[in-house]
Amino acid sequence: MEDDTSQSEVIGLGLCDSCPLLWRTRDLRTVRSRGLVGSLLGSLPRMPRQNGRLGRPLLLQPEEERLLTELHAAAALTTTDQARGRVEQYEAEQQTSYEQQKILALEDRKSALLRAMTSSQTVPDSGPRTPDEALRGRLEALDRSFTFPRSALAVQLSTVRAGLSHFPEDRALLRADWPIRAQDDPRRDVRYQVFRDLRGRGFYLTSAGKFGGDFLVYPGDPLRFHAHFIVICLSLEESIGVLDVLSVARLGSSVKKTVLLCSPAADGAVLYTSLQWSGMV
Amino acid sequence: MADQNKSDAERSSFSEVLSPSELFAARSRSHKIPVRGQKDFLPDGSEEQRQRLEQSLSEHWSLVSEERVERLGNLVKATWIPGDQMVELQSPAGKFWQTMGFSDKGKQCLLPEEALYLMECGNLQVFYQDLPLSIQDGYERFLSSRTVSLRQYQVFGHLKRLGYVVHRFDASSEPSSYARQLNLPPSRDRAGKQLKRKRSGSPTATATASCSHSEAQEVSTAERMLEEEGEEDRKLPESHLTTSAETPEVQTSTATAAGPAGGAGGVGGRSWWAAAVLRAWDQGSSHNPTSASPCWDHRSIPFPDLGSRGVGDRLASPDPSLLPAGVAVGVCNVAPWRRKINLRQVKMSSKEQKGRRRWDVNKDKQVRRCRNWAEYQELQARRRGGRRKGRPAHLWNAAVAPLHDPRRPIPTKELLDKISVVKSTNLLEGASRLTGSDEWRLCFSVYQPDTVAEFKKSNPGKPYSRICVCSVRRLGCLQQSGLLILRTSDSLEPGSTKRGSVNRATGEKLDLDDSRPAGHGVVGYLGCGREVPDRHHSRLDPNGVAQ
Repeated sequence: MEDDTSQSEVIGLGLCDSCPLLWRTRDLRTVRSRGLVGSLLGSLPRMPRQNGRLGRPLLLQPEEERLLTELHAAAALTTTDQARGRVEQYEAEQQTSYEQQKILALEDRKSALLRAMTSSQTVPDSGPRTPDEALRGRLEALDRSFTFPRSALAVQLSTVRAGLSHFPEDRALLRADWPIRAQDDPRRDVRYQVFRDLRGRGFYLTSAGKFGGDFLVYPGDPLRFHAHFIVICLSLEESIGVLDVLSVARLGSSVKKTVLLCSPAADGAVLYTSLQWSGMV
Repeated sequence: MADQNKSDAERSSFSEVLSPSELFAARSRSHKIPVRGQKDFLPDGSEEQRQRLEQSLSEHWSLVSEERVERLGNLVKATWIPGDQMVELQSPAGKFWQTMGFSDKGKQCLLPEEALYLMECGNLQVFYQDLPLSIQDGYERFLSSRTVSLRQYQVFGHLKRLGYVVHRFDASSEPSSYARQLNLPPSRDRAGKQLKRKRSGSPTATATASCSHSEAQEVSTAERMLEEEGEEDRKLPESHLTTSAETPEVQTSTATAAGPAGGAGGVGGRSWWAAAVLRAWDQGSSHNPTSASPCWDHRSIPFPDLGSRGVGDRLASPDPSLLPAGVAVGVCNVAPWRRKINLRQVKMSSKEQKGRRRWDVNKDKQVRRCRNWAEYQELQARRRGGRRKGRPAHLWNAAVAPLHDPRRPIPTKELLDKISVVKSTNLLEGASRLTGSDEWRLCFSVYQPDTVAEFKKSNPGKPYSRICVCSVRRLGCLQQSGLLILRTSDSLEPGSTKRGSVNRATGEKLDLDDSRPAGHGVVGYLGCGREVPDRHHSRLDPNGVAQ
């Protein structure tokens, strides 16, 4: 059920340097539910100084972008103009946030104090006062002396541009067309046809630059499965050297993936040739 | 009221803005990333697999959707200035100032890619028109063809997260081939000490000592002035005049004397320049990255050859564009100087004396092509050697002769240069003159993370590596998409990167394990005899790394 509704949503793309980036989490989820993986580019907020796991934005491959365009499932996010009164609104929000956080901080301190005092009941009496009175006294002292400096205010550094994270029906924020990345690659049609065919068969595809191929093919979600194939897209008329075939086959065998040479035929079907390294005598 | 609650709940599930209570609760968030389990090979439609997938996905979404929450006191405030394409800090910089940023007119500033990186790390809050910029705004505003492209920023971020110090490549700070030919000792300390002297303003004993020492050096270099090109030639008449005029400010003479002594070209020339600048403005550590100090091509600057007989006694004043600001040089009278040279009678053999009246050795084109004495001797030897016996006539007397006589000893490098049809160039030296496609432009200089402790922005030293970021479509006959980061060492020939014989093995080693998220943006590094940077990863604590 959730998949249906999320599939019908239009994905908002942010354009950075003419590359389509996805910023909103729900856009990422929608794209994933369509079987498109993309690649995360940014630092992970929880742990920014490592490269193992990255965070938003998500960059779409040219083939993924093209597929979404054909399905009319994506649109560019407009840049919202700075409306008048925004600055005052922001400052007012900061002020209310400060006041609320101050209250929360005080409560937090009080409860911590309560825990500390009640847990130390066995400690000998500190004087003529009863424990309850002492507790009340301490709490009152805390009330008087508690300060919450402005520098302790917790502030959000938002990932998505303000104003874009509202209801999905807000179509006013979306623009139907956007400048598609200029692609001077003569193979882009070949790649796209292969991509569309494999995606249609239910495979998940990611870019395979590190393996010297075009795509990596996963039988299921890349989070849970290893890739099975390295796809190299060629047009039917194109010839490749034997040494290149050898090098890519050897590579495939060493990383335990099958190399697929894919070529779209004239009738729209795609021909697949797999390479298997049998070893040398 | 119920409607309000419902819309609020809906709003919060879609909205990525955190409420104050959530912000407060974020203090106690975990800072660890859960470890990913083993992957499966084949989907078998089992419930167990489906559940694990659900778990992985929900963990993934919770990590990705998390927002950055920081204490206001930990954030450095800054504003974005689109006109200058830079970010100006409003509150004092933190620890990152050691390796990032520059000073401009007394204000601390950051380059856009540095600012964006710090925003992503949660150390900086950039305002534009009094409203804070989100990360999305940062990407869309700071990354453009004018500043740094998205691809280049990816590389920048990747290296910074590993702990390297990454600066924009400055072609003018590379020593020219002439400076390298001189093989000067590193003048790092020299420059620092000289600058310090200038600021203190008072001439010390060591300053005058260096002055006299360098003067002695000048005199000795003058003796060898015959066919040598260099700034010494031009500066010598000037400094000689100033010292002989007996009214030098000690600073002036130290400055001009330190120039040649410190070394001409690239590095040393800059210190002389900087000293002059300091004298004029008395301001320290101003480093504008966008303006490049002039990188002279010494082969195109004509230097007067005072040793030859044809030059008159008066030297015209040099081209003002070659001089630092504030220095005006008039016509130089070099007569007294020229009287001091060519004093020794040159003993000529009878053969030379015969042809002396009629033929000046300097008029010989081949002699003019010799740049120094050694080459002239080689030329002589060649001329003499051509008449020796033992060379096959059909080879040597024909219209096309071999480039090199195999009986003559020659170092391999020179031999290769001699027989090469395509001259090898130094990518770094020619970098400033590369007007070709943007793709092969060097854009970053990278310094090792271990040097962060003593890293000085004003004098970073020689970088560990230079980076050229390109999106490679084809390597050999195979197609590659994505990023390829080429790290160049000093003597990389531009042609070699396009050959198919690239060492793809290094690319494999880096990202071979599948457990990383698929479609990782940064592909790998093709080094030229250098280690892959990821090896340093184990030495760096991701949380403790200096920014």
